[in-house]
Order: sequence, then C-alpha cells, then structure tokens
Amino acid sequence: MKGSLWLAWRQQRVSAGIGAAALVVAVAVAVYFRSGMLDALHSGLFDHCATGPLYCTRSDTGLPLLLDVEPLKYLGVLNIALPVVIGVFWGAPLLGRDRELGTHRLVLAQGVSRGQWFASRFALAAATTIALSGLLAGVFSWWWRPAADRSYGLFWYDNTALSGSGPRVVAAALFGLAAGTLLGLLARRVLAAMGLTLLATGVTTLLLEWTHRARLLVPPHTYVSAGSVPKAPMGEKWSTGTYGLITASGRHDDVLKCAFPSGTQLKECMAAHGYVARFYKANPAGDYWAFQWTDTAVLGGLAVVLTVVTVLLLRRRV
Amino acid sequence: MTGPDAPDALRATGLGFRYRRRGGWALRDCEFTVPGGRVTALVGRNGAGKTTLLHLAGGLLRPGSGELRALDAVPGTSEARARVALLAQDKPLYPRFTVADTLLMGEKLNFSWDRTTAERTVREGGVPLHARVGELSPGRRTRVALALALGKRPELLLLDEPLADLDPVARGDIMAGLMAEAAERGTSIVLSSHVLPEIEETCDWVLVLRDGRVELSEDAYTVRESHAVLTGHADQADALATEHTVVQRRTAGRQLTALIRRHGPLHGAWHVERPRLEDILIGYLQDVEPRHPAPAERTEAAA
Repeated sequence: MKGSLWLAWRQQRVSAGIGAAALVVAVAVAVYFRSGMLDALHSGLFDHCATGPLYCTRSDTGLPLLLDVEPLKYLGVLNIALPVVIGVFWGAPLLGRDRELGTHRLVLAQGVSRGQWFASRFALAAATTIALSGLLAGVFSWWWRPAADRSYGLFWYDNTALSGSGPRVVAAALFGLAAGTLLGLLARRVLAAMGLTLLATGVTTLLLEWTHRARLLVPPHTYVSAGSVPKAPMGEKWSTGTYGLITASGRHDDVLKCAFPSGTQLKECMAAHGYVARFYKANPAGDYWAFQWTDTAVLGGLAVVLTVVTVLLLRRRV
Repeated sequence: MTGPDAPDALRATGLGFRYRRRGGWALRDCEFTVPGGRVTALVGRNGAGKTTLLHLAGGLLRPGSGELRALDAVPGTSEARARVALLAQDKPLYPRFTVADTLLMGEKLNFSWDRTTAERTVREGGVPLHARVGELSPGRRTRVALALALGKRPELLLLDEPLADLDPVARGDIMAGLMAEAAERGTSIVLSSHVLPEIEETCDWVLVLRDGRVELSEDAYTVRESHAVLTGHADQADALATEHTVVQRRTAGRQLTALIRRHGPLHGAWHVERPRLEDILIGYLQDVEPRHPAPAERTEAAA
C-alpha cells in the first residue's frame, strides 16, 4: 500500500500543486477584497441601510449604495464549476491515463493488487479534493459573511452564495471526481473520458441549479396576511414570485384578479370577489441550510454510488 | 536446475478463457505442465492465445473455466505477485518518468527489489538513467521494462515477445543475461517469441499453442529426438500414417516429404533427416492438412 501511495503521489503531485496554487490565489484575492469591503462598511456609509431586498441609497446624491461583491461572485462561480474542473482534469485521467497507456498492466505486474492500485490513487485524489473544495467554500463564507443578506451585499439565495458555499461544494467536488473516475475506467481514451465527464458533471450542475430555482427539493412556505392588511415584509426571504388571493373556502387565486397595491381599490376588489386573505410564497433565510443539506445528500449519494460502481467494474474492466 | 521438490512453473487444467461472454474462446481446454527451472518457448501463430496465456499466468486476467497455477499459487494473489514477474508485449511504461524514476517505482512497488541487477540491466544497454522513458527508442524501452521485471528477482519470469524490438546484438546480450539468470538462480522463464532460431539455442522446453489449444508441451530435447523428416515415394504415405503421427506433409509429384513423430522403428524405403527444432515447430504451426503447399508461401506464413 505504501508503494502504490508513493506512485499515486508521484502522478498527482502536479495536479495537487496546481490546486494548492489556485487556493493560495483565492485566499490572497479574498484577503485583499474583504479588507476593502470591511473598510467600506466601517466608514459608516451603510449604517442607515435596513435589511431587505430594497436598494439603499446615498443620502446626498440618491444613488444606490452597493458593496463591491463582484470578485466574491467570481469565487462563487469557481466553486460551482469545481465538480466539472475536478472531474475533467483529475477524475478522468485518474484511471483513464493508465488504461490508455496500458500502464495498469505495468503496475499490476509489480507487487500491487487491483484494489490497492485503485484505492491508493482514489483515496489521495478524494482527500485532496475534500481539502481543496472545503477550503475554497470556507474562504467564500469568510469573505461573504460581512456582506451576507444585505441589500448592498449578497443575499443567501444568490446562485453564487447558495451553490458556491457550504458543505454542498465539497459533496459536488467529490461527485465530479467519482464521475470522472468511473468514465475514465469506461472510456478507452482519456480525451473521450474528459468530454463525457464535462457533459455529465455540467448537466448535473445545471440540473441542480434548476431545482433551486424551481424549489423542487425545498418547497417554499406560504405567507398569509388576513384581509388587506400589509403583507409581512419580504426581507431576506427568497420570493418565488407567486403572489395571490385566498377565498373564504380556501381557494388560491392569482394576484392579477385584484392587481392593486393596497388601499380602497384593493379592499373593494377583494370584497367583490369574496377574497378574505392575501398570500405569497417564499423560502425563509433558514432554508439556506435545507438547500445545502439536500444538495449535499444528492451529490454525496451520487458520489458514493459512482464509486461503488467503479469498484464493482474494476475486476471486469482492468 | 532446481531439485525435484521445486513447484511446477505453470500447471493448467481444463483452462479456458474468452474476452467476451458470447465471444469466441481465446484459450480452450488447455491441459499442460511446465516444470520449474526450465526456459520455455511459448510458440504459436498470431492470435493463437500466447498473450492471453501469459496475462492469465501474470494475474492480469482470470480464467473463464478450469484453473491455472503459477508456482502452485493462484495468479493475482499477493503470494503469486511477489514471485512472478511479467513483461507485457507492448512494454507499458510511464513516458514522463525518467529511467531512474521508473526503477525507483519498481523498488517502491515490489516486496523485494534487487537494485544492482536492475541498474546493471539498464546500464548494459547504454540507457542513461536521467533520460525520460518516453524519449527512448523501443529497444531501450524494452531494456527498462526488462530491468523492472528482473529487479523483482522473480522465481518465474513471463516474457511476452521480449526480443521483438531489439537489434541482433542486444538480442544476444539479453538472451545470454536471461540464461545466466536461469542458470544461477534457477529462475523459470516462459517467453513467447517468433524468433525461432533464438529459441533453438536457449530453450529447453517448448509449449506450442494453436487456435487456443495446446499442441505440444514437452522437453525440447525429446521433441528433437522423436521427430524425423522423411523423404520417399508417395505410395507409402498411408502405411506411414498408421504407425506414426504425421505432423506435416508435402507432396511434389510422386515424392512425399513428411515431418513425423516416430512411434517405434521405421519401415519402408525412406530417406531420413534429423530436423532442427525450428522446422519441427513450423510444422506444428502450419495446418495439418495443407491446401496448396507452395514452399515460399509457407515460410512467409510461419514467419
């Protein structure tokens, strides 16, 4: 086992080095921009701003006040793309390179068994992936925290924050690695394996983004306000964009039946149609963790399944 | 030579293998024993199953039916891996590794490692240790791959076409090195090769495969002694076939030339010649019933 681990490190040290360099760059960028962000927050310019999705404006010029969160979003995008990058450049060649060159025969003809050959290199790649993705997700959270859920910052439901932070980043990276490894074992050429991995991990990533938007896995709450009294403020909740009216019998109708903001017109319209309450659907801020854990379970589960399939195919394919 | 207690190098019973579940058999009903301490020539035409057999013995493949034992161990188990070395036909090596790295890999991956032997094998070929493997000529790559196999100090050395990429001088050197290894340490060697003259000089056991079946597994000396090339009148052909095994025959007009395996004394008017091992092997590799025996074609087909 020690020998095959040596070989695994010898073959993966360049990838590990590139990963470490990327991490160092991310940390440096985060330190630089975060300190700038803290300076802006401490300047007192944002002190009068309320929480909530509405823009906060400068008292003198009336222009919207915003923190510079663009670099933070780029880090979030990197974290979202992590399963694709790791799957294509680390997973696909992990077994695929040996399969293409026939060098697995060289390794297996030495004192190394199939199990050791796979286990040592996959364990090393998985450990590096966990460390890299965990640290990148941590850097994002650390950078994001002062600007989290502020109109001038970044709300929890922004794609880059929801999918670019937390444990789901680690699970997604492991899924990418497992998918690439399996496809590397199945395809005869590394390049083909890389293309297939790009497709598989890319589609999965986009599909999960879609489930977020459609609230498929974490259904929204319905917030009801009686009569025409003002609705509970949206605040840091993630609106689905569904607003409506409720009759005495409990029927939910679209908001366009009485498309008036408030006041007497609304009251009259509601009375005319027999509406007794209004509602909207949104996910509260606490659902950040519901999204995180469902994603982690889905991606982690997929990673485990793909790894098990790889192990089962190992005997037949190699 | 090792003593009588030494385990057989290879022992197959009812061995069969096919690459796909519904595909044809690459090896079928193979039943043979190769004693330990021998230098065995594994001979067969392209697609006869030589590489499959060596991969099965090296533990890279698992038998589809029957069983194969290498030094009494199941190929692929840690016991077998420690004692058997395999040099695959395409000499797979990591192209980005230097020669020194490759040898270091051998040291790290094997239970025991003889650095002196490995480095000597490489140095004798004039291969620089700091060169990248991917930039070496195929012959030098073979040297490096062979150094990996020898550095392991195996009890059974399986070589798949080790001579194919080598120049005649290197061939001689490497074969001499292998013979010395076999003589000094009693290493059993099984090598597949199409270079039949080399085999004649070095091998003392022959294993002939044809279409996935074992045609011959016998001591080389016995093979040479028991076969004869006869030339005589074609009328005697039937009588000959009843007494001896006709391996190969060729008729030109009324004259018959036949390679036979003798069972007892010869009767009839024959001109008898002692064949070379090479000729006997070619006889076995060719069809039993040749269709259109044109001598030039035959040599080509067997090459």
